[in-house]
Amino acid sequence: MSASPRPALAQSIAERVEVCAGCHGQDGKPIDKTIPVIWGQPSGYTYIQLRDFKRGDRKSEIMQPIASSFEKEDMLAIAEYFSNKPWPDLGQPRSPKDVADRALRAERSVGCTGCHLDQFQGTGTVPRLAGQSREYLTKTIADFRTRARGNNPGMSDLMLATPPDDLAALAEYLAGL
Amino acid sequence: MNRSSSIAFATFFGLGCLLAAPGNAQQEVKQEYVPVSREAKVSPVTQAQLTAADKNATNFLLTNVNYAQTRFHPAKQINRDNVKGLHVAWIFQTDVRESLETSPIVVDGVMFVTTSFSHVYALDAKTGEQFWHYNHKMGPITTYCCGPNNRGVQVLGDLVYLATLDAKLVALNAKTGDVVWKTDIADPELGYSETMAPTVVKDKVLIGTNGGEYGIRGFVRAYDAKTGKLVWNFDTIPENSVGVWATKDATGRDMHRDIQAEKDQLAKLGDPYKRLGGGVWQNPAVDLATNRIYFVVGNPSPDLDGSPRPGDNLYTDSLVALDLDTGKYICHFQYIAHDVWDLDAVSPPVLLDVKDKSGKTIPGVIHAGKTGHVYVHDRKDCSLIRFSEAMVPQENMWVLPTKEGARMLPGANGGVEWSPIATDPAQELAYAINLHQPMHYRVENSPYPNGKLWLGGAFTAIPGEQQSGNITAVNYNTGKIKWQVKTPEPMIGGILATAGGLVFTGEGNGKFAAYNSSNGKELWSFRAGAGVNAPPSSYMLGNKQYIVVGAGGNTQVSFKRGNNIIAFTLD
Ligand code: HEC
Ligand code: HEC
Repeated sequence: MSASPRPALAQSIAERVEVCAGCHGQDGKPIDKTIPVIWGQPSGYTYIQLRDFKRGDRKSEIMQPIASSFEKEDMLAIAEYFSNKPWPDLGQPRSPKDVADRALRAERSVGCTGCHLDQFQGTGTVPRLAGQSREYLTKTIADFRTRARGNNPGMSDLMLATPPDDLAALAEYLAGL
Repeated sequence: MNRSSSIAFATFFGLGCLLAAPGNAQQEVKQEYVPVSREAKVSPVTQAQLTAADKNATNFLLTNVNYAQTRFHPAKQINRDNVKGLHVAWIFQTDVRESLETSPIVVDGVMFVTTSFSHVYALDAKTGEQFWHYNHKMGPITTYCCGPNNRGVQVLGDLVYLATLDAKLVALNAKTGDVVWKTDIADPELGYSETMAPTVVKDKVLIGTNGGEYGIRGFVRAYDAKTGKLVWNFDTIPENSVGVWATKDATGRDMHRDIQAEKDQLAKLGDPYKRLGGGVWQNPAVDLATNRIYFVVGNPSPDLDGSPRPGDNLYTDSLVALDLDTGKYICHFQYIAHDVWDLDAVSPPVLLDVKDKSGKTIPGVIHAGKTGHVYVHDRKDCSLIRFSEAMVPQENMWVLPTKEGARMLPGANGGVEWSPIATDPAQELAYAINLHQPMHYRVENSPYPNGKLWLGGAFTAIPGEQQSGNITAVNYNTGKIKWQVKTPEPMIGGILATAGGLVFTGEGNGKFAAYNSSNGKELWSFRAGAGVNAPPSSYMLGNKQYIVVGAGGNTQVSFKRGNNIIAFTLD
């Protein structure tokens, strides 16, 4: 694939990201709850994910073929494009107090905001978690634990150190932020 | 951790609910009002001034007051009798509401402060008015473990030196804040980042790196102050990192290493030096008399899993001395060989005259460890003379991390984290701020992840176990604790001693206080409204002594964020 001439360069960013909307949403709201929000995500994080999909460090039958045609500059430009979009409101409910308390206790034990920042807004190569789809969060956390998502062993270690009930509370809490 | 360590991130309290300043949001807010830049009337800083900084009560020229890093400031107008009258002179609000760890630098009435995400401000030290603001255009890729921190700048000639989160070294025009030159230090995609203030000396800019949580190979470098060209590089991890198979730590406690298993691993894997971590993210001390620098090297990668890295993992968790002109190795002392607890060495070392074992006064170097001990060394060969009583509870040392989690004290943040200590040589005292955070240490195994977070497990604060902190004065010639003040939360940030017989330090709950440096009696305090987790500075202007400190909370030990630089003075 890489040997073929690259129409890529000729293609504008707007054209290249059209395909993404089919799953990640025309308006930033993904068409399915297991698909993550990518609008408004820090560009460093999106770039690293595309890079990892391409390298095969992060496995996904859907995303790997999509990312494999991109070169580094493409990935950086696409990441930049989505980081400038507003984060969509998925309308997920705020978690009830007992769930929030449990989530915050778990947060304190590990110190999630030490990396994900105050209010889980993300920065650089660390993703925003606030308002991400609950179903996606649940899935990717489970994938970290089994290392099915193996592109960040540090996150896997932290997820393994957190009891499953606390993680469920965190997913619900984060989705409702 | 990479900041070294610290991921442990043990935290308390709910965070303030303010949207922080990550990425784009921050940029957008900034459009509303852009203050006009004014020229900062600052005269060039000479090497002679820097060399004599220890005697200069007017300015605050180096991150830790002077090249010896004593954090003893010679101004004495504010003293034990009148400190109760200390009040706010001015407050400056930065544009960035995130973790604030800056050490304000003051040159002839102009103050330089930094914030998270590598912003720099030049302020009028008398009024807090802004001269200029350098808003670093951050590259998209930043990799760091414990907050987007920056600990400050230093000035030489008419240039202000800044090291950025995306691993660049930048020289700014001190008058205008314009970029004069910029150098890439290392690739952030491989886990490198910068949070420390550079040290400037003899036309060189000295800088280390973060990245101990990412499998980097650490270094200390000297860049040419005028051009930004590399002068020398010292790899903190030598190609032979195996060492002497030490089984005991610096204090003589057994570390429960399985030496045979490590030797088998070594035969299989070879020397692990290429990805062994060993960040240096606090300033070196400079001894101009012998032309040497002394610094401490952080933890090995991955933090908690020793299996991929057989051997002592030199020079992680060590004090190291180099020749200033060439970067050539002179001596080292390793506190913990083959560390699997992230209890590394971070707080900047201090050069002082100390008593050796026979009671003779010799040039020494002291360092306060995450272990909670103050270590006293002979400057000649780095050897250990003594270590102090433990400043924090120690339990179950050195139990090996397990899959389920093994409880050990201190927690992985210390003891003393990156927080610089202060000293008062006339009283033979070192002042350190400490954390007490009971933690579980867990181990997991995974291969090197291409520059991604590589912890080899996790350390987690134990829910329900009380955390606290303290301010401790240690006599470094006896190793005995002279006084200790307990604080309700773990302490991180720094401390300053002054010739007025005082020490100043802040807490995560917003309290900033002055204590009698001889007995720890609290003499004055102020509530800043956000965590005071930065080292204070002192300076004189128009016959008035000022104390200045940042109040912006902390990311690593989640303390309430803010964005204030607060200066205090007597009437
Ligand atoms: C056919 C549906 C589909 C299309 C088209 C698609 N994606 Fe995805 N994308 C997914 C799914 C499903 C995941 C979640 C994978 C997983 O669970 O690991 C995902 C994950 C991602 C992630 C990781 C986000 C995170 O929070 O970790 C990024 C980044 C991403 N996609 C970018 C893109 C871009 C850019 C495009 C267009 C060039 C695109 N995707 C096109 C389905 C799609
Ligand atoms: C030491 C830093 C650090 C800490 C602490 C941390 N994270 Fe992460 N987290 C990361 C990084 C870096 C990533 C990006 C992983 C990658 O590169 O794929 C991430 C990714 C994630 C993701 C995936 C998001 C997505 O869009 O796919 C979730 C969910 C997550 N973290 C939850 C948590 C929770 C919950 C905690 C606390 C219990 C936590 N993290 C603590 C650094 C950290």
